[in-house]
Amino acid sequence: MSVANVVEQLLNALALAGLLFLVSAGLSLVFGILRVVNFAHGVFYMLGAYFGVTSVAVTGWFWPSLLLVPPVVGVVGAMLEASTLRFIYRRPPIYQLLLTFGLALILEESVRVVYGPTALGVEPPALLQGAVEIAGTFYPRYRLFLVVLGLAVGAVVWLLLTKTRTGLVIRAVAQNSEMADCLGADVTRVRTLVFGAACALAGLGGVAAAPMTTAYLGMGISVIVDAFVVVVIGGLGSIPGSMAGSLIVGAAQTWGAFYLPETAMVIMYAVMGAILIFRPWGLFGEEE
Amino acid sequence: MKRRHFLTATVVGGTAVTLGGPVFLRRAYAQNPIKIGLPTVLSGGNAQYGIQAKRACELFAKDNKGKGILGRPVEFIYEDTAADPATAVRKAQKLVEKDGVKFLTGTVLSSEALAVSAKCPEWKVLLMSTINGAGALTAKSYNRYFFRINTSGPMGARAVSLYLAESSMKRFFALGSDYAWGRDSVQSFTAQITAAKKEVVAKDYPPVGTKDFASYIGKIKQSKADGVYLVLPGQDATIFLKQAHQFGVTREIKPIMEIVELENMKAVGDAMEGTIGSSRYPFTVDTPKNKAFVKRFHEMHNVYPDMFDGETYEGLEWLAQVITKAGSDDVEKVIEAWEDSKYDGLEGPFFMRKCDHQAVQPGFAVQAVKDPKYPHLIPKILATYPGDKVTPKCRTEEFA
Repeated sequence: MSVANVVEQLLNALALAGLLFLVSAGLSLVFGILRVVNFAHGVFYMLGAYFGVTSVAVTGWFWPSLLLVPPVVGVVGAMLEASTLRFIYRRPPIYQLLLTFGLALILEESVRVVYGPTALGVEPPALLQGAVEIAGTFYPRYRLFLVVLGLAVGAVVWLLLTKTRTGLVIRAVAQNSEMADCLGADVTRVRTLVFGAACALAGLGGVAAAPMTTAYLGMGISVIVDAFVVVVIGGLGSIPGSMAGSLIVGAAQTWGAFYLPETAMVIMYAVMGAILIFRPWGLFGEEE
Repeated sequence: MKRRHFLTATVVGGTAVTLGGPVFLRRAYAQNPIKIGLPTVLSGGNAQYGIQAKRACELFAKDNKGKGILGRPVEFIYEDTAADPATAVRKAQKLVEKDGVKFLTGTVLSSEALAVSAKCPEWKVLLMSTINGAGALTAKSYNRYFFRINTSGPMGARAVSLYLAESSMKRFFALGSDYAWGRDSVQSFTAQITAAKKEVVAKDYPPVGTKDFASYIGKIKQSKADGVYLVLPGQDATIFLKQAHQFGVTREIKPIMEIVELENMKAVGDAMEGTIGSSRYPFTVDTPKNKAFVKRFHEMHNVYPDMFDGETYEGLEWLAQVITKAGSDDVEKVIEAWEDSKYDGLEGPFFMRKCDHQAVQPGFAVQAVKDPKYPHLIPKILATYPGDKVTPKCRTEEFA
């Protein structure tokens, strides 16, 4: 077990955590503020990847795509919230679960109809191609970028929620939507905004993931399972929690696969199980 | 008034009988088609395989328009199994009991095929595999209602091993998807490569749907093997090749795939150039029958046929041939007609062994190469092995 090896495994965990964070942060936000378990969240990640690939293929620019695709995905999400989810917030949670599950299936199949079943590849931008030497190991530049992106987005979202007026209103709605409504906050608008923003985050994750995993059908379903585990571990509605959860799941998956390949999947769920038993509100969540 | 009513009724009734007669007869003919049911994967990550099976059926239907089988029209019924064995059994049962299907095909995952095949003796229907790789299907889990037209996993591993035996590569890392096909094939590859006095230094089984192969790539790098043997289904293979290329591993450790698919070549692109492996059906095979098939296929679907497009088409053509030979679509008669029968396939001669219902057919070692005539990389045939060299001993996964 050389130093190079340890460093490489550490970076692997961080890169995967970066990607997981982009997806789980939105999932966590939507639950925290809208009280909806959004099954369709992974599909927005997939939409981001497909739109990103298209945009890079058409324009040839990676960076503008990275900036422009997430808002587009966000708008799609906000429109879906405004046209469907908005009307059933008062119903029991099972309705919302069924609705978002249905939306996930519809969107995924729509992608298949439009793009076909073949996975679509996209190259990282020239700046991030190839590998750099770190502590005696060659590591792909693009994965390092994912680490940075995850951290940067985490910082921005956290600052937005804790230090701005919009963040204040969002937190107020999360804590007590009726009271916030009485105090003059436009709850309906806040919900749509948050849902759209969460979808945009997932879309960003998708664009960022495409050069690493290609854009393919089923990528949404595969990521949503991990994202749920992240959110359960970190605590529903908590951004620092999503970050911690992403790190734990990223580490469990990559280190598990490296050191204990036969039990890699078990480790992740064992951690989740332990959290559910001993601290059901998650590491950073609040006890209700 | 009454009489007029009576007359009207007679006229209407009479017209209905005279006009309706032929229609009724025609419908009797149309209502008696030979139905082929496909409990296949049409949604999610493995949909590309179901779509290949479907494309082959569509071309077969077009090629046989007006002719049919035994003068009866052929009807294909598709059901989506979502790549889940339990759903596959449920959908197959629906096809058999509700639609009255006697022939099933199009199962995508080996785990699905194993589950459906186990039910066939009870249902008295025939399952024709054109996609499923797991060796067990025609060995440990053999039953007389299951026929495998396609090259199996062990046969692919065999073709690659025969090719590698001649190469300078000595040490291999084996990476197989964690289900029936992946584990089966890695085992088969290990046995054969050891017999060729070479070594499998390590093996690993990533779960199906792995999206980050970094840990496995780290281990492969560490193993300092000459090549990495990959038994990964389409999407997983694409992601692995893409990431291994980004880590720069493929420069030193050559990827060797049990199946080299067009799907991978399209999605991975130039980073896959030089990858070797076996192909169950490389569309570049130089036979007149295949050339004509590729042309017809391209005209209809506007893409080149991938492995399971070719294999499924062959299955359908062969099935039609044996039903004609049996003179009936009675399942027991078709089984008897099929056993020990020959078929002139796209890539060469096929023979259906009676002992385990595995089709003996040529095996190929191919390499992904660039060709300016095609919009993507294509499988260039490096070596062709005759059927008896690549088919295992009866009802086993071992080779003579």
